[in-house]
Amino acid sequence: MTDDMKRTGPEPGAAPAELSCQESLALVYEFLDGELAADWNEAVRRHVQKCRRCYPHFDFERMFLDYLHEAGNEARANPELELRIRALIGAELG
Amino acid sequence: MNRGSHIQHERRREFESEALPHLDSLFGLALRLTGGDEPRSEDLVQDAMLKAWRAWDGFEVGTNCRAWLMTILRNQFINDYRRDRSRPAKLEFEQVAEGHGAGSLYEADPEGRVFDRLLSQHVLRAIEELPDEFRVPVVLADVEGFGYEEIAETLGIPVGTVKSRLFRGRRRVQERLHGFAEDLGFLP
Repeated sequence: MTDDMKRTGPEPGAAPAELSCQESLALVYEFLDGELAADWNEAVRRHVQKCRRCYPHFDFERMFLDYLHEAGNEARANPELELRIRALIGAELG
Repeated sequence: MNRGSHIQHERRREFESEALPHLDSLFGLALRLTGGDEPRSEDLVQDAMLKAWRAWDGFEVGTNCRAWLMTILRNQFINDYRRDRSRPAKLEFEQVAEGHGAGSLYEADPEGRVFDRLLSQHVLRAIEELPDEFRVPVVLADVEGFGYEEIAETLGIPVGTVKSRLFRGRRRVQERLHGFAEDLGFLP
């Protein structure tokens, strides 16, 4: 599978020259996730670069996804879990 | 110590030093996937660790042990998840208001200051409270960094469904964060 085939997007190869705010925002996550086909990616990028309303909104969504990624990876296992796993391995060894 | 038990002792020492340091990461992934179900998460981690121990001879030391362990745990969870999906879907997909969203977190805090003020426990709770159908794709994409195609294949759903679930799941997380931020007086 080529990289392009993996990319998703509405009607690949048919991105309009101009996108509205609504259309751009509907694609915000696909754009930030790097999942849009090249022509759609370019159409969204063009709109966001020149739109005073969408630019800060896209920036906000990027911050949100970074925050989700960082916070979502924090956790601490109960120390007893490690002891239990060590004991189970010991029991398997006999 | 005879030769056989010496080898076993070495094998165990190697497993404990390579694999056990990743317990927190595994537990974190299990918690995200199960929606904060701690006993179920501990069982998942324990089962994954035992599987890893039994397969340890096949693991090449020096390669990415954390990724290997995460894959074992994730596969185990996904197998159960896909089996359970034979139950009827309990979720009604609501219409999501698009546009710049009056009443949204973005509207209330366009600079994203709440992301500095809220604790990670708030985002964890917001993820955990999502229904399975939204939570699992969000965890795979946002915690684990999977691409859409990979999520679609993993969960056995179309890419279009992955997109809409991510969109709605992430917006729901934002709504929940908005609620936490208001409760804590971070937003008017």
